[in-house]
Amino acid sequence: MIKKFGSVDKITKVPSAISRAVPGTIGKAVPRVLKKRSSYLYFWQKRWFFISLAVGWGLLSMPVPDGLTQQGMIILTMSVVATILFVTEPVPLPTVALMIIVGQVFLMGIDSKEVAKSMMSDSVLFIMGSLMLAVAVVKQKLDTRIAWLLVRVTGTSTARIAFGISFVSGILASFVGEHTVAAMMLPVGITLIQLTSDDPKKVRNLAAVILFSISYGCSVAGIGTPSGGARNAIMIGYWKEFFYNPTNPETFIYLIDYVHWMMYAYPLFLIQLPFVTLILLFTFKPEYRNLSRAVVKLRHKVEEQGKMKIGDWAAIVIFFVTLLGWIFASSDYGMGTIAIFGAVIFLASGLVKWTDINSGVNWGVVLLYGAAISLGLQMMETGAAIWIAEHFLAILSPLGADSGIGLWAAVSALTTLVTNTMSNGAAVAVLGPIVLKLAVAAEESPIVIGYITAISSAFAYLTVVGTPASTIVYASGYLKTTDFLKVGWKMAVASTIIMLLGAYVYWPLLGV
Amino acid sequence: MNEKQSTTMSEDTEGRFRILVCIDGSDESYRGLKYAAKLGSGIDADIVLLYVRPIDQGLRSGGLQVDVARSNLLDWGLELPGIKYLKKGRDLLVEMGVLGDDWEEQHSHSDVSGTTLGDNKIDYISKNGNKVVLKLKVATDIASGVLDQWEIGKYDLIIVGASSRWKGGFKGFWDPAVAEKIVVHAPCSVIIARDLEVGSGHLICTDGSEAAMHTVRSDAYLASRCKCPISLISVSHDIEGEAEAKANVEDARKELKSMGIDVVDAITKVGNPVDEIIEAGPDYSLIVMADSGKSGIERFFMGSVAFKVMENAHNSVMIVR
Repeated sequence: MIKKFGSVDKITKVPSAISRAVPGTIGKAVPRVLKKRSSYLYFWQKRWFFISLAVGWGLLSMPVPDGLTQQGMIILTMSVVATILFVTEPVPLPTVALMIIVGQVFLMGIDSKEVAKSMMSDSVLFIMGSLMLAVAVVKQKLDTRIAWLLVRVTGTSTARIAFGISFVSGILASFVGEHTVAAMMLPVGITLIQLTSDDPKKVRNLAAVILFSISYGCSVAGIGTPSGGARNAIMIGYWKEFFYNPTNPETFIYLIDYVHWMMYAYPLFLIQLPFVTLILLFTFKPEYRNLSRAVVKLRHKVEEQGKMKIGDWAAIVIFFVTLLGWIFASSDYGMGTIAIFGAVIFLASGLVKWTDINSGVNWGVVLLYGAAISLGLQMMETGAAIWIAEHFLAILSPLGADSGIGLWAAVSALTTLVTNTMSNGAAVAVLGPIVLKLAVAAEESPIVIGYITAISSAFAYLTVVGTPASTIVYASGYLKTTDFLKVGWKMAVASTIIMLLGAYVYWPLLGV
Repeated sequence: MNEKQSTTMSEDTEGRFRILVCIDGSDESYRGLKYAAKLGSGIDADIVLLYVRPIDQGLRSGGLQVDVARSNLLDWGLELPGIKYLKKGRDLLVEMGVLGDDWEEQHSHSDVSGTTLGDNKIDYISKNGNKVVLKLKVATDIASGVLDQWEIGKYDLIIVGASSRWKGGFKGFWDPAVAEKIVVHAPCSVIIARDLEVGSGHLICTDGSEAAMHTVRSDAYLASRCKCPISLISVSHDIEGEAEAKANVEDARKELKSMGIDVVDAITKVGNPVDEIIEAGPDYSLIVMADSGKSGIERFFMGSVAFKVMENAHNSVMIVR
């Protein structure tokens, strides 16, 4: 399938001095830069880029459909092109973010000041701040302490340890974000696996249970609080942006604060936790029922570390201060400001180095979220969001899914589908405006639909790229991509049912 | 004759025959390694064990670089998955007696932008200059990593397993399988290993062309050095072509005779070449074929016998270049 031009022969015959040198010797002088395959593959590798541009051009040259403005058509086209690029990745992902900026200015003629403004919001600050906090927390090496506490409570049975891991990962992840906890807990999990047996084949199922306990524990927890994941902060931002009007007291319910969010979502997370362990134990029957050998060795390892130092305590205190700030002050100062504030204290106290933060955070993600939110706001302003929402509703109504629990299930299914192909924050950023408009058109509560979207975006259990925790855990090399499919669908079904039950039974009690 | 052949086959690595074995921890990759050891022992080949780790993407992990988790793992004293697999391969070679205790050991490391760990390499060099190399490499994807390795090392043979991990995760929907990509782009011979066992000999396919005769010569040289029995096959589309097929096999047999190599079976078949070769294949360890040399577009529309056999065969296939 791949084109092969004559240049292959050229490569083989060029007696290049560099390629003949011993790899190690040149490597020491100049860091090897990761390179793509040579030029004859260029067009093949970039094929999706050209396809997406062609699709964009085709869409733009079509007549504008009824009910949609020219501007709306452009923003929709940009979303389609961005989605293709997102999924197929022919160009580095942050490029897509930059293209969205350029597109808004050149194609839509929006003033560049406006575009720049829409790129940065409290949600984006929050994403940036919480990523910096994540690196700071992982660098504190509190993982050994957590591991020690964990095995002291759970004992040595595999099932209890698996539940313990997902419980601890979950509780922590609901406050600090899932990527932080996955990075912290991964060594604990792998140590347990390796201490049980050196041969990865003998502990395949055990490894799957323990590692998925970490990643799914983190994933289900991400819904618990606004700081659990970027998507929650994005949804809170959208509610405020779209519905809040300072002059109308009736719209004040659209200002959702930290505690309010927790009241809705935290119980759902807690209910899901035992199901994680049950599903994992039934899907992968672990080879060992008891891990006493590993636990004893782990305990030794932890004891080598000695007592908690002042720095460790300081890190815990800073973290709790930030957490209290989120709970009590975020409605006044914004969640982003407080996350940034936490990062400032960590940096100022010297507990984390800027170089660590700089290399530990992928700043491209911040760009991506900024651009995705900006795109979402434009969808709203140009009326594209309402146009899609109405059409989506027209498709749903013959199925009887245009209101109530049917609509909820449809929104949840749509979000789950999208979130499995891209990061869950981006999914919420793009889908948010559409589903919120959908709620308005269907005369449903935008708050309920918003929660359902934000929560369903955590159901990316099926793919490695779906959630940050899955990506990190997969990097350990113990799991196969097929493992994710094997257990992921059961998780998705269980989580969806629990969420819909919660929305149907529990949320009305809170008075939505 | 043999001497001449050996110089032409390994001229681009200062007279040494170099085999690159892609290790991914699967049984298949270790069978490939055993085969490389057998093949290599006859001709004093260098054996390079390569594990390619796809580069970690922070974009996928919600903005926290996977490297943060990775260096946390290292702080715990945990090894990367690839190192364990490579060490297992080394132990296998020691067990087989290919690698001795008296070999000199050299470690080297090179930085790669975007990851804390970079490339790591251990060279084992024997007194008479034989080399075994363990290499852990970081690349954007597995196939590119293997192909890049060829460019810095120049190998004569790449052995790659047809096992599932080579098909790579989610990107598999858009990217051709790793093994296929390597076969298409590698400038040297490639073995796609499927249940690769040492003992049963090579089945060399010939259609009488110059490329096929080259294949016959070079593989016969290899096989004779590791004392693998050699068989020949030629397939004609219809009855009229059968005489020609017989002649092809006969030519090849004579050629080998003059090299001092005996042929075990000489098979001629009538029918679809792809099906007939695949059917005859499982009696041997390896089906050996010449690369058709077709360009991408031609291959796309017409297909090539070599590639169809490679994709559908039940056992291992070697494409000779």
